[in-house]
Amino acid sequence: MTIEEESLYLCDGAETEVQTEDFRVVYILTMQQREEKQLEVAVESLISRVAHVKNALNIFIYKLENEYDRLTWPSVLDNFALLSGQLNTINKLLKNEKTPAFRSQVIIPLLLSPDRDEDLAKLTEQRVPVFSHEIVPDHLRTKPDPEVEEQEKQLSAEAGRIGQEVAQKQIQALNKLCSNILEKLNNPREDREAEASAVRQNKASFNPTDTSALVAAVAFGKGLSKCRPPGPVAPGHPGQGPMMSGGPTLQQVTIGGGSNQQAGMGGPVPPQQQGQTGKMPSSIKTNIKSASGSIHPYNR
Amino acid sequence: MEAPPVTVMPVTGGAINMMEYLLQGSVLDQALESLLHRLRGLCDNMEPETFTDHELVYLLKGQQGNPFILRARRSLSHPNAPWHLRYLGQPEVGDKSRHALVRNCVDVAASQSLPDFLNEMGFRMDHEFVASGHIFRKGAMKVVVSKVSRILVPGNTENTERMSLSYLVELSILAPAGQDTVSEDMRSFAEQLKPLIHLEKIDPSKQRH
Repeated sequence: MTIEEESLYLCDGAETEVQTEDFRVVYILTMQQREEKQLEVAVESLISRVAHVKNALNIFIYKLENEYDRLTWPSVLDNFALLSGQLNTINKLLKNEKTPAFRSQVIIPLLLSPDRDEDLAKLTEQRVPVFSHEIVPDHLRTKPDPEVEEQEKQLSAEAGRIGQEVAQKQIQALNKLCSNILEKLNNPREDREAEASAVRQNKASFNPTDTSALVAAVAFGKGLSKCRPPGPVAPGHPGQGPMMSGGPTLQQVTIGGGSNQQAGMGGPVPPQQQGQTGKMPSSIKTNIKSASGSIHPYNR
Repeated sequence: MEAPPVTVMPVTGGAINMMEYLLQGSVLDQALESLLHRLRGLCDNMEPETFTDHELVYLLKGQQGNPFILRARRSLSHPNAPWHLRYLGQPEVGDKSRHALVRNCVDVAASQSLPDFLNEMGFRMDHEFVASGHIFRKGAMKVVVSKVSRILVPGNTENTERMSLSYLVELSILAPAGQDTVSEDMRSFAEQLKPLIHLEKIDPSKQRH
């Protein structure tokens, strides 16, 4: 046993045995002091980090409850990122080699009283006003919840049941998967991009040919049936122009009427409506023409 | 009576010259849900709005080559709402670095007699289609995800057939002339929608061929 192990072994009780050699006494005492100091420092910084997380959570919850209609997704992501960063620093602190193992510390309540303790209430922001028998099992608990304990017991029973070789094989498979993922993550970005774009080709979310087809349709009607009347409308002969357009629409009406009779469809309304609207402009135009300006066009 | 000369200059006089900045893309049906989710998160928080519109495009052929185009649009889901008449000019061929398609835009509301009025003015309907889908807003930006259907029997908007298996996605801003900073905002918004869709500046005249 080294000197450190021996001193720890000896310090574990409530009393330390007085050693005959002065060197040993001094060494044991300094070890104890150093550990206490480390513990104190670690607990202080842990308290401050946890207070930061608590503040961030408070602000976030307030935002979610009161400003939810103005909240945007990027700012929610920011909040989450902040929380994750703070949890990360706590993790780093706990993993730090200067931090003593908290697992080996034991908290024993020395005095329980049903009276209200003002200092404690102030310290915990009115959340724990009384240090009594009710709050001790909740706050000083080290065992997991009963349900969790049950599940853990089941898992360890099952693990013991499956046998040595099967367990070994499962361990190997898990290790292989983890190393694969690590390799993928550590490889340079170009390899990943090539793979990702190959995968993406199969589930492309847009088709460029469709884009151009749709844009062409909306911009100038490519692919949509044209319903321009036959023959160009010549503005140089306004008299003949409207007449010509009136002609084809009349033809459309007769064709529509004819097909209705032949087909005997139950829906003759749309072609007739179109026929009527087609008729009306032509009749109005001929009226204007015959009156030749003596009747105002809008006085019909 | 001589027909008025057909002009393709930007329509000015009386009102601020508004320009429409436009980026277009499309999304396949199977990716539509994810696109809508993403838009719902990125855009202003409002009730998702769907629309069904019937657009008729009217042409007036002048003595010069280029016909004058007017677009009349009415809502099939709100039959009593006024019609919307829109003129879109030629895309401005400014510097190539501008990220969006910019064209002059004039919008007016019109009553239910708009098609008759246009017919009497000498316009002839060139084509029509039905667009239905969702509309989102983010500040001044408007994102429209619509499926375009062609009308099989002219005038009958019930009987429609989809043009393709994709939805058309348009990102547009209406701004007074000269504000080029809006195209930067549009470009950064379009970046956030990648790789689901690629919103880009598509010149319609290049699509003709």
